[in-house]
Amino acid sequence: MTSGSAAPVTLAPTREASARAEDAPGHADPQRVLADRVEQLYGQMPLGMLAHLLLGGIATYELWDQRTRDLVLFWWGLVLLVTAARAVLYYGYRASGNKLVEADQWMRWMAISALASGVTWGFAGAVFFPSHPDEQQVFLAFLLAGVTSAGIPAYAASWPMFAMYAGAIVLPFTYMLGTFGNRLFTEIAVLVPIFYLINVGIAYRLNRVFLSGYRLRHAYDRLTEDHTRLNKQLEQQIEDLLEARQEVEASGRKLTLFAERAPISVIEMDANSTILEMNPAAEHMLGYSTLELIGRSALNTLFPADEATLTPQWWAGFVARREPVTRLRVRCLRRDGLEIMCEFTITPLINESGDLVSIIAQCQDITQQLEAERLKKEFTSTLSHELRTPLTSIIGSLQLVNSGVVGDASGEIAELSSVAERNAQRLLDLINDLLDIDKIESGKFTLQPERMRLDELVQESLVLNKSFADRFRVALEVHGELPDVQLHVDRKRLMQVMTNLLSNAAKFSPEGSAVEVSTRCSEGMVRVAISDRGPGIPEDFRSRIFTRFAQADSTTTRHKGGTGLGLAICKRLIEMMDGRIGFEDRPGGGTTFHFELPVMADAVST
Amino acid sequence: MPDRPLLRICYVEDDEDIQRVARLALERVGKMEVSIIGDPTVALEGILAFKPDLVLLDWMMPVMDGPTLFKRLRETDGLRDLPVVFITAKASQRELDELREMGAAGVLSKPFSPKDLPEQLRAIWRTLP
Repeated sequence: MTSGSAAPVTLAPTREASARAEDAPGHADPQRVLADRVEQLYGQMPLGMLAHLLLGGIATYELWDQRTRDLVLFWWGLVLLVTAARAVLYYGYRASGNKLVEADQWMRWMAISALASGVTWGFAGAVFFPSHPDEQQVFLAFLLAGVTSAGIPAYAASWPMFAMYAGAIVLPFTYMLGTFGNRLFTEIAVLVPIFYLINVGIAYRLNRVFLSGYRLRHAYDRLTEDHTRLNKQLEQQIEDLLEARQEVEASGRKLTLFAERAPISVIEMDANSTILEMNPAAEHMLGYSTLELIGRSALNTLFPADEATLTPQWWAGFVARREPVTRLRVRCLRRDGLEIMCEFTITPLINESGDLVSIIAQCQDITQQLEAERLKKEFTSTLSHELRTPLTSIIGSLQLVNSGVVGDASGEIAELSSVAERNAQRLLDLINDLLDIDKIESGKFTLQPERMRLDELVQESLVLNKSFADRFRVALEVHGELPDVQLHVDRKRLMQVMTNLLSNAAKFSPEGSAVEVSTRCSEGMVRVAISDRGPGIPEDFRSRIFTRFAQADSTTTRHKGGTGLGLAICKRLIEMMDGRIGFEDRPGGGTTFHFELPVMADAVST
Repeated sequence: MPDRPLLRICYVEDDEDIQRVARLALERVGKMEVSIIGDPTVALEGILAFKPDLVLLDWMMPVMDGPTLFKRLRETDGLRDLPVVFITAKASQRELDELREMGAAGVLSKPFSPKDLPEQLRAIWRTLP
């Protein structure tokens, strides 16, 4: 009816998500910022390498003369080497699969690359400036100033890297200018570090701007991420809500269907017993249409004025207690004035806040059922009396004849009168069995348990059934010692069970054999077994042997006599005495029926 | 246990066949003196006249049932302490318990065994004060 798997639906963003959204701008992930800076630096590399090669080529061409040819060639080789190494580094970085984690490492390699690049230009300044005439010196100074300032955007993502790169260019050049011995150059040597510091300052400022740019970008990314996640969460929640609504609607439809098609009446009322809704079965039972009853008080309308059970006081108490009531039998008044007896189950519906929402009454018209029960009881009572009364005369008369009290009967008269007595007794047994099973199955059967000795019960049962067994020329014997235990059982009914099992065993035993009764105590139970040497229980009869009117085959039954109720009654009686009953094949042929009953704990002496 | 043997029985029973069987059983088997009363409405007079040791009372009889007659007996001087044993074809345990609660000395069920009836009555007789 309800979905157990649906997640609880909450519309507010999670605490974690909102906390992250609030403090995100100040808490950009440093590793990610570093990775972004590295990416920025490597992103500038292709242009840097191109400029390096181009400017290096122009410088080589400009500085070429016979005197310094080897040195210029060496320098050009250095430019190519550094550029090649940087290209390798660049491709290595691009191919890297984990730039975020390895950001530190790539940053270090980039620093080495920047230093190498700076050293290349610093070498050019220091070596070629003093050895060339004025025109080339101006070219060199212009070139060095250019490549130094070009480093500012190239290394903007890391001002220390720019400081290192520019320092490698400026330091040897400044040293050379200072030691050249020319006053102008000495003055320039003083100015160059100042320009250097200004450039580093600019790079530092630019770096700060970049950094805050990165942080902002990250904060924005995270906000976007949070936003997307919240959106997804919301979408999921809306989906869950829709599903829940569909489930509720389906349950509602199902419930409506249940109520509409239910054969029992369902009436919904409020706390004042005002009728809110009812189903077709209720309309049919009460003879009112729903429209006639909605808004009317059930207490004043549906029950006769002298109804003693469902009174306004009872109703007030029920509403105060708010506990369901079942099997409440109340007289109801139909619209046509007819009184019917109804059985109610009244359930208060309480919501989560503990308020009484409404009251659901389910009820059934049991007038006919009660009448049927009364008739059945009357019938059983009459049957019992009317059948037993003539049997009293029949059995009594035959017993008097057969026992010779009224004179000796002999020959065929005696034989026939015995047949008549035996069969009258069978008829009585059948009536008794029918009454027993009826009482047991209607739950009206009560036991009268008493304390009794098992050995006495067994001995008595053998005495009682001896004459019956004699008729089949079967002996009844106790096998082994009878334990000195006491049971808490209904004496008469246990004797009935013993009689049933013993007479069954005797009936089916071959002439001249013995029915053996044996007992065994274990774990607080005593087991009584009755074994015969009869033909055994047919396979197809085993499963229904303890059911009513069960008989293996009608020929035997007619021949042997029996109602087919005996074992069914035995099973129910033993179970009512907290015991078990069963049977098994007896080794060597025959059957053993056995029952187990609890032994009184304080009465076991052996 | 009363200090005299059980000898005189008054049996109130409407069924004539049962009357005959019971009379034979009590007289021949039990060697008792028996007075059978078939109409419960004149039973009080019959019992007063016969002065039995014990009254055997059927439960279901026309006009007046056994329990009603039993109450009358209890209200009649001279019969108030007379032991009464019900004999009934009713099988319900509840009904049998009711009879015992009303003060019946015993309850026997129908059909009874004519051979055993006198001894059953004597057994009840022995339990009386």
